Amino acid sequence: MRLFFLILLAAVVFVAPAFALQSKPAASADMAVGDSFDQEFADNFSETDNIPLISDPFEGLNRGIFWFNDKLYFYLLKPVARAYRVVPRPVRQSISDFFSNISSPVRIVNSGLQFKFGDAGRETTRFFVNTTIGLGGLIDAADKWGKLPKKDEDFGQTLGVYHIGQGPYLILPFLGPSSLRDASGSVVDAFLDPLTSDLNRNWSLLDKAEFTAGLAVNYLSLDDDSYEKLKRDSLDPYLFMRDAYAQYRVAKVAQ
Amino acid sequence: MRLLCVFLFILFAFPAYAVATSPQEQVKQMVDGVFSVLNSDRSAVEKRSEISGTVQKFLGIESLSQRTLGVYWKKGTPDELRQFMALYVKILERIYLNRVEDYSGGQVTYDQERVKDDKAILDTTFVSDRYNIPVQYKLVQDGGVWQIYDVLIEGVSLVSSYRSSYNEILRKDGFVGLLKKMDEKLVQMEKGDG
Repeated sequence: MRLFFLILLAAVVFVAPAFALQSKPAASADMAVGDSFDQEFADNFSETDNIPLISDPFEGLNRGIFWFNDKLYFYLLKPVARAYRVVPRPVRQSISDFFSNISSPVRIVNSGLQFKFGDAGRETTRFFVNTTIGLGGLIDAADKWGKLPKKDEDFGQTLGVYHIGQGPYLILPFLGPSSLRDASGSVVDAFLDPLTSDLNRNWSLLDKAEFTAGLAVNYLSLDDDSYEKLKRDSLDPYLFMRDAYAQYRVAKVAQ
Repeated sequence: MRLLCVFLFILFAFPAYAVATSPQEQVKQMVDGVFSVLNSDRSAVEKRSEISGTVQKFLGIESLSQRTLGVYWKKGTPDELRQFMALYVKILERIYLNRVEDYSGGQVTYDQERVKDDKAILDTTFVSDRYNIPVQYKLVQDGGVWQIYDVLIEGVSLVSSYRSSYNEILRKDGFVGLLKKMDEKLVQMEKGDG
């Protein structure tokens, strides 16, 4: 049973971010106003610009892992998440909000590192509001009643703000699409996140794996089949996801 | 006679002004049209055909295809391009319909409109109790009408996503391979939603 949970955990942890692509609830109102109008048009009007946004020297290997993750998703994670949906949605949402609140340091520190002190302040306010009025983070009160939506920031984005490119595209087993930069970034974020940080908790690897798997199932139970839609809509899901990932991260860095 | 000329002039000039709507009005017209069909009590099949008609009117198929194919737009024969456009518009329409059904029950807010010469960018947000998704439309003016040539959802461009995968298929298998794959996809999509 433990082994099963371990596998599940690993799977969830790694697959979840991949499927966050399409239905992230966070929206930022002040999106890319700084970009010049011409620049926003530029990419779509040049007929010669067929250079992919991200390099993929390991395509063969990546496609293999993509295939593995795909099977894992359809034959293990999705059925478990579907069964878990007997738990009422508000409860699952609260679980998700609770852990997201605990991870606030990741967003606060990365906002600061990107010199976005307003965002760092907002995330700090969100943390205090949600921890108190939001009953320890179970309710995202800051978003609901204070019109202070969450803004995701991670170390991969911080590196992007420092003009470090994404590097080669990587599909990680269990975890899904990433890049050399963003995968390295998530290692740094794991230290910033009280949930995963070894500094704060002396959990065994197995404990952490079980916990993460649970979190991933919870995540997928809230997700509206994003991955199924992506597969349904594209001629080659691998290529489609690669480009969508690269674009999504570029947009995130610009925000 | 002079009066007749003036009359004719006014007659012809006026409608031209009347249809020169802004990008925002144009997109709003489409979105409102689609939502009103969705919320009506017609059958699913009727809704689909009605929505597809509404959407096709606002899509700039040629601009969309040109941007999707990139350099291959110039390499294809007129016949290949015609076939491509016919299939592409059907695929896009199908995707749009699926999306609309997924996200019914929300509202669209219109945030910002920027126009430069014959191009425009319109920022909107799709708001529902569960999502808050930024959707950006890019439009180009063609014969006095604003037509959509790209849609960006959370910063991810539809055209660009298709472009990279279509180009890769074109590079390996040429137009023959791409058209065949598109055809298969369409059959699969139509079967899938039974």
